[in-house]
Amino acid sequence: MRNKLREQVVISGVGCSRFGNLLETPEIKGMSIQELTASAVKEALDDAGLTGQDVDAVFAGNAMVHSSQVPGTYSQLSKWTGTQFKAGVHFEAQCSTTNVGAAMAAMAIAAGVYDTVLVYGLETTRTKVKGHSPYEREPISHQQTWLWTDMAVNQAYGVPQGYDIFSTYNGLVALGYCRKHGISIEDFDRGMFEVCRTRRLHGSMNPKANIQEKLEDRAARDGFGDPFGYWQSEEHNPFVAWPSRLLSLVTTADGASAMVITRADLAKGGRSRPVELKGFGVSYSDLPWYGEDPTFWEFDKRAIDAAFDMAGITAADIGYLHTHDCSHISGICTAETIGYLEAGKGLDAAREGRLRFDGDRPMSTHGGRHAFGHAWGASAGTDTYEAVLQMRGQAGPRQIPKVPDISVIHTHGYAMIGTVIVLGSL
Amino acid sequence: MQNTTERTGAIAGYYEGLAAGLFRAIVCKSCGSHTFPPTGCCEHCGSWDVEPVELSGDATLLFATHNISPACHPRFEKIAPYVYGHLRLKEGPIVQAIILGVDATPGDLQRLFERGPVPAKAETLQMDDLPVLAFRISN
Repeated sequence: MRNKLREQVVISGVGCSRFGNLLETPEIKGMSIQELTASAVKEALDDAGLTGQDVDAVFAGNAMVHSSQVPGTYSQLSKWTGTQFKAGVHFEAQCSTTNVGAAMAAMAIAAGVYDTVLVYGLETTRTKVKGHSPYEREPISHQQTWLWTDMAVNQAYGVPQGYDIFSTYNGLVALGYCRKHGISIEDFDRGMFEVCRTRRLHGSMNPKANIQEKLEDRAARDGFGDPFGYWQSEEHNPFVAWPSRLLSLVTTADGASAMVITRADLAKGGRSRPVELKGFGVSYSDLPWYGEDPTFWEFDKRAIDAAFDMAGITAADIGYLHTHDCSHISGICTAETIGYLEAGKGLDAAREGRLRFDGDRPMSTHGGRHAFGHAWGASAGTDTYEAVLQMRGQAGPRQIPKVPDISVIHTHGYAMIGTVIVLGSL
Repeated sequence: MQNTTERTGAIAGYYEGLAAGLFRAIVCKSCGSHTFPPTGCCEHCGSWDVEPVELSGDATLLFATHNISPACHPRFEKIAPYVYGHLRLKEGPIVQAIILGVDATPGDLQRLFERGPVPAKAETLQMDDLPVLAFRISN
């Protein structure tokens, strides 16, 4: 495998909707999934100074077609995005969808097939089509969400025999982490509180986040003067897979994201500052996702190594990192595998405030999967959106003081496709 | 004349085996590794030259947590929350499955965690519509 891009490829435009609930969240309430997606696409095209007719191809991502009910997404969305008559495909890599789309776009451009590709992702994990209505939606139950989502997980032997995401992705990884590094369950719990507190802080500074309330404020609203008391409350934050608690998990959302990817020379003098897509790595695995050590995931390591090799970087070059954090402890393990955090010290780093936007190891400054929320096939694009904002110095109150030159975004497409992309300033 | 003999697929064969108390896998003739539960291809080296084998059911439980309640899958609503574990089989494969012999409470799970790895033995847990793999530990 040569693992090289033959042409310099950039992200010239990014877009992202507010994440929330199409039935409740003010900024998106009443929108159709078509309008939700179009809002993200418009933002990305405007950012790049293009229209839908200026792109050569459209890669349209959507994972859970059960709730969106727009298969053939490229054509169903074409009149909403101004992209009629383009080349296109509907694809999915679950929660890595949009960044796998970015990698596919980079390959198509570097191969000389297309000059400019629009990638977008859309997902509704809070609401679904009501009956056969073309515009009415209704809530999805917790069990229905996971039944549909888990269709991406081993359907021969895993799900039928009792697999669930909470134990495999959270509790078992947490116990592996504690045993490997000699961390007590009490210290683990305190560390996870700090990770959540940091993500909620970031979400509170992001007007597009699903949850924009700091953990401290949420605790106070329920009468807790000490937010750690709220954290340990069985009523508000139960164990979902001991020793992992509810607030260390993803929150579901409806949302969409988009990006414009093009040749570097075509982006010069464009409307916004482009960011180079320097490299990517992709590796997948069926269950079990790890061997005896639940903190080390071989497919992630392979994706990381491939991306770093293509980009020509090391962990020491990273100025901003997002790791997939549907499970906060899994995200910490991945950051340690990458080498951004010292092995076994990730929770200490959280307690010391080092993972905050103004810390020396900033991570997930949009709020991550917990505070920003998670709309499966759209979310990787929101991670990239945040990285591009940070690299342009456009992240507002959550801007990393030392504007990053190199950003790394890692995502887990359920279940599992480890995807890593490396962005660099030009 | 066309052969109309009905063929039992690997998945059906696995669950039929469970119903009979058998833990069916495949072993690779090329690299000697096991794939469990069975497919038609070695998960380690990619060889198609495999043959069926029955595993002992002997295992070591490495870690145990619990699932969420209500369960994500309706099949398990009646028993949720249940203990779910990460195990190494005697023959090598790593497996995750329902664990019997310990309650899904923080206190019991913490005591189990502090014991470290413990022996476990595979058995079949009969749900309403499907036999599933489980492992039992002794107190």
